[in-house]
Amino acid sequence: MYGSLSIIEVDNWGRKVHEEDPQKLAEFEARIERGEKIEPQDWMPFEYRRQLIRMIEQHAHSEIIGALPEGTWITRAPGFKRKLALMAKVQDEVGHAQLLYSAAETLGKPREQMINDLINGKSKYSNVFNYPAVTWADTAVIAWLIDAGAIINQVANAKGSYGPYGRALDRICAEESFHLRYGYDTCVHLATGTPKQRQMLQEALNRWWTPIMHFHGPPDKTSVHTETLMKWQVKMASNDAMRQQFLDMYVPKIWELGLTIPDPNLRKNTETGLWEYTEPDWDEFMRVINGDGPCNAERLAVRRYAEEKGRWVRQALIRPTERYVTPLA
Amino acid sequence: MNTEALKDLLFRLADDDLVIGHRNSEWTGIGPVLEEDIAFASMAQDCVGHAQSYYTLIHELGEADPDRLAFHRSEKDFRSCHLVEQPIGDYAFSLIRHFLYDLAKQVRLEALTQSSYAPLAQLADRIRREHKYARMHATTWVRQLAAGSDEARLRLQSALNEAYPMALGLFESTDFTETLAAEGVQPAESVLQSRWQQLLEQTLAGTGLSLPGDFDAAAYMGGRKGYHSEHLGPMLAEMTEVYALDPEAVW
Amino acid sequence: MQFESLDPRVNRLRLVRTNEAFDVGHEMDQWQTWEVFHQQARGDQHRHVGIVHAPTAEMALLFAKEQYARRMKCVNLWVVRTADVYASEYEDADMFEPAFDKSYRESFGYTQTRARIDEYRKAQGLTTPAAAETEKQAEPVAAKTTVKKAGIVIGKKK
Repeated sequence: MYGSLSIIEVDNWGRKVHEEDPQKLAEFEARIERGEKIEPQDWMPFEYRRQLIRMIEQHAHSEIIGALPEGTWITRAPGFKRKLALMAKVQDEVGHAQLLYSAAETLGKPREQMINDLINGKSKYSNVFNYPAVTWADTAVIAWLIDAGAIINQVANAKGSYGPYGRALDRICAEESFHLRYGYDTCVHLATGTPKQRQMLQEALNRWWTPIMHFHGPPDKTSVHTETLMKWQVKMASNDAMRQQFLDMYVPKIWELGLTIPDPNLRKNTETGLWEYTEPDWDEFMRVINGDGPCNAERLAVRRYAEEKGRWVRQALIRPTERYVTPLA
Repeated sequence: MNTEALKDLLFRLADDDLVIGHRNSEWTGIGPVLEEDIAFASMAQDCVGHAQSYYTLIHELGEADPDRLAFHRSEKDFRSCHLVEQPIGDYAFSLIRHFLYDLAKQVRLEALTQSSYAPLAQLADRIRREHKYARMHATTWVRQLAAGSDEARLRLQSALNEAYPMALGLFESTDFTETLAAEGVQPAESVLQSRWQQLLEQTLAGTGLSLPGDFDAAAYMGGRKGYHSEHLGPMLAEMTEVYALDPEAVW
Repeated sequence: MQFESLDPRVNRLRLVRTNEAFDVGHEMDQWQTWEVFHQQARGDQHRHVGIVHAPTAEMALLFAKEQYARRMKCVNLWVVRTADVYASEYEDADMFEPAFDKSYRESFGYTQTRARIDEYRKAQGLTTPAAAETEKQAEPVAAKTTVKKAGIVIGKKK
């Protein structure tokens, strides 16, 4: 699961588009215009490659880190059905990380480097995973609403121009639909259960509403670079459009369960057809992204632990003759 | 057929699979490499799923439903052995435990497909098919790691020294062992143990790993009679934390 | 200092806070990659589904099974070392596109045969019954059956 954060580094542009070979650039853009996919061995503008690596890598990190807050409840899930489903769901997140790292690798960045950049804090991941899953109901809310947000983002990105990313996302979206059903079913059982269960769910929703509103990233900045990335089909939908789509699809479902969304200003404007809401605290968003969230340090420490404790296992099996070759597709 | 004896066996099967599946699931998200993380999580799910099926058979013999049996039973009533109760430890320990446990499970499942209790024979046959992967996974990993580096082999050997005596608890006899054998439900534990021993020795041949010769297995017995390691109690408390908030609720 | 986590699993790991730079320590730390091919059912072609990182073919197969076949129906898997795949260049993709009419080697290049017969029959005033119906129905079947001997398609009779 993944939202939008600083995925598109609009201000820090490494090479200007007009510095690219004009003929190759024209062919590249014409190919995208025709709806054809770009494959790893194709010529591509420097910034296309850089932004894609950045985006796919952050998506991959989000999956592997995303396994942690929900993983918190694997050992405590109530009953066989939930226990097995949560085990399978968290496993899927790890699987998604594997698929996405593979897609990023095709652009020329080995997995080793991506792991280093994650653990050293050089590379970001989705902000929501820096919040704790305090109770069982938090995992239910994550599985339903965070995954729902992620699906909106991923379905859009799956139509993007880069072949390997699209292929990975097609597979990921198929699995996310299980997550969404599982999450919804779990929330519904809490909402329609005992007063204690209902209260648990309401409290979790209260805790998660801000991260949910943060999920698709800050309001859109329009710039020449954003337009270029949209033309190259790297960025497929604006943050605000995705947030609107999310609200449209899920607010009625939340209200249907008799739950209260902790935003008194939330309503759909019947004239504009758009949702109006209190802007979430974007300073908090920036603080958390820059490392100062409730769980940032723990998440990275757990990843570091996993890599360090697993090192002897991996290194015992390295063959001296092995050479890394960039995966093909 | 002696129902008490049957239930005794089924609880042992169910509890072992539940507890080891639960333990192995703790690796999800923190495994040594992404691909292995995924593989290990699958096998953990399989074990918990097998446990659920065994509890279903117990339920059909008149006991509570599977959720209640797994999530609402006292530690004293569990019949798991000490091996499965241990914390996950180093990956070498988890891998060796998986190896010892899943080879034992293979031997047992093969015997159970011949069980005179038809529902168990049928279930064992279904589990056996899925279990093939666990066996393949365990043997491939142990063989390759043992051949991989001196450090890896030493780590595996020390895990083997630690886990093997515990694994003997898998075959601890109970008051019902003879009845079960006499009724053709399952061969005696000692028979299964010697088959397992043989399989272990065959599999470890040429790996440079050896089974420890000097140990005290008595310390790890008692699980089948409700005397557990100090780890089971806290594990069950954690596992049932949410369920226990309201055992009547539907989660 | 240790982390006080909400996750009992994490507390058991006894993680220590550190600011030390991290490095995986070996450029092949994640091993080489293998291309995975998946066959959904007997009779199907194997299809490329992605890669796994693994040290050996046996391990690659173990990993591929759970990463690519834990949900998808599957009867067979292949793994091939990425380094062993010899691939064409996308730059050369134009060589796959026929620049000239190659209909002579396609079935759709032979649509006028019937007209030719009809024309002939008409000119000759032939009255034996036309075979047109049989031919039409045999065609789609013929296209699916195996080619035996040199280019002779054996179709099922109606």
